Amino acid sequence: MIAKYAGIAPKGDLILLQKLGEIFREKSFLHINSTRTGGGVAEILQRMIPILRDLGIDARWEIIEGDERFFDITKKIHNALQGNFEAITDEMWQYHYEVNKRNAKKLNLEADAVLIHDPQPAPLIEFKVQDYSESDNVPWLWRCHIDVSNPVQEVCDYLRQYCEKYDAAIFSVSKFARSMSIDEFIIPPSIDPLSEKNRDLTEDEIRETLEKYKIPADRPIMLQVSRFDRFKDPIGVIKAYRIVKKYNDCILILAGSPASDDPEGEIVLNEVREYASNDPDIHILLLPPFSDRDINALQRSATVVLQKSLKEGFGLTVSEAMWKGKPVIGGATGGIPLQIVHGFTGFLVHTSEGAAFRARQFLNNPEMVKKMGERGKDYIRNNFLITRQVRDYLSVWYAIKNNEKSVLEL
Amino acid sequence: MNNVKNRAKPFEFMQCISILKSTAKRAKNLRELRDLIATVSEESIFHHTCQYFLKGRIREYTNDFAHWVGESLEESALAEQLSSIDPYEFKSISELRTAILTVIDNYLENFPEPREALAGEEFYFNETITIVFPAHIRARNLAEFLIAIRYIDGASIYYHFHEARTRLGGGIDDFSKWFDEVLGEQELAKRLWAIDPFMHSIEGIREHIVEIVNEKVKKDMEITGVEE
Repeated sequence: MIAKYAGIAPKGDLILLQKLGEIFREKSFLHINSTRTGGGVAEILQRMIPILRDLGIDARWEIIEGDERFFDITKKIHNALQGNFEAITDEMWQYHYEVNKRNAKKLNLEADAVLIHDPQPAPLIEFKVQDYSESDNVPWLWRCHIDVSNPVQEVCDYLRQYCEKYDAAIFSVSKFARSMSIDEFIIPPSIDPLSEKNRDLTEDEIRETLEKYKIPADRPIMLQVSRFDRFKDPIGVIKAYRIVKKYNDCILILAGSPASDDPEGEIVLNEVREYASNDPDIHILLLPPFSDRDINALQRSATVVLQKSLKEGFGLTVSEAMWKGKPVIGGATGGIPLQIVHGFTGFLVHTSEGAAFRARQFLNNPEMVKKMGERGKDYIRNNFLITRQVRDYLSVWYAIKNNEKSVLEL
Repeated sequence: MNNVKNRAKPFEFMQCISILKSTAKRAKNLRELRDLIATVSEESIFHHTCQYFLKGRIREYTNDFAHWVGESLEESALAEQLSSIDPYEFKSISELRTAILTVIDNYLENFPEPREALAGEEFYFNETITIVFPAHIRARNLAEFLIAIRYIDGASIYYHFHEARTRLGGGIDDFSKWFDEVLGEQELAKRLWAIDPFMHSIEGIREHIVEIVNEKVKKDMEITGVEE
């Protein structure tokens, strides 16, 4: 499996992965989250577990089970951590804990290292198996995938009582890290260049997708792939397209999948449809789940890719498009500036007018698109491929086992 | 001339990666930046100055502090001054820290009310854990070195060209040291040593090294004085 990444991922990352694989050979590495499908965390774990196993590590992935009430509470916790006011009562917190307690009885928590993803299973730390390993230190790590730069403080403080019992926390971006009594590492998410969403496609495969969705191939395409969510600013994207359209005849595609856990999705979709007001050149695509190849094809067929988010945890669609050699125009928010180096691999914007201006630059300057696209692909290769993320997780494990010296030689 | 023992010593390429750690400290204005620079760990100062080059591309300024002051506070004059501090000129991080503080203090005396950063644009202090490992490539002579330098990872160039300056002290890098001490190529070492680490991205440094070594290898291969 690792061999498949040769010539794609940086050679040094693959060498280090193999070295760390030798160090942790046959050690067990347990990941726990709350869903096996849907969302970026599950997507990454689906690809990461086979890589870890290929390295000789006994990687396991478990999910916690909960009822509607539990997920209603954890959705509220999630929203509060992202800055929306939600009142979480003591009773709700207690239920959150009880469901985790029930899961702890069913799950095998014995492992040489444990990585708990997001707030849903955070209380599992209370049920850490003691003295499992011969070594005295089984690191338990809490991985936060959400934007907690401006959380509802009360909710953040309550969750802290669990987080601070872990050996370390991992955040995607520096500004998400909180002031805590444990070590906090920064590890951004990643994309898998070999997955269906990112692998190379033939011209025929790209054409098939365009035909399937009845998208003409006679004009340049502007594209945003994201859920229909106000934070993704689909209305702002249409505004930008309308400014561009005055000078450049083009097509706009807004593509996203419906999210079953997002009751607002349909409302926003209707708002977007209304705002588009039957413009035949605006294609609003509601893609079914598992449309990875179609998303891949749309990204490859676009001339201008946007991710004009107003708030964004990380925005992996940016890395996905850049991997396909497309410079991206992204909102200067959350994890997007980590991926787009303004003026070098794409443009960061704050307004629809700004997005429109940069889109016009792209449409009128193919050479710039090509150059930025090449740089962007290289930037993703060096920073945001899954091999780097696995490398980082194993390095954190290794660093904790070695008392976190600031320089470690392998 | 070199002795036989030295001639046999190949150049073993190493490389490194850095795992980013948050200090959870952040500054939203110049005074807070100054006070935190005075108190954060040496690893943090090292990361924001010396490790700046590991980012692999050239930006307008040459360290994270200068970049933030220029971009987020829009204090271009101070950014220029901070940017001209060469972190490799100092014997210790402590001396480097003092130099940075002196520049900021002087600036604050003349311009005591700099603007605040916008929300979300604060300066976040990080530090790193560095993991060093062999790149599994070695060069026994200049020709092999030339092949290797063309395709090794950028992180390997960072380790031997930038990080070595701190590790070895005195602004020396691993490549120049090997050219000088093992191959006896003082002139080549001098030319490589003269590449300005501030003015190029890692890929730019690679290009310069390739150019200089290529020239030397080519010259060594040329048969001179051949008669018709």
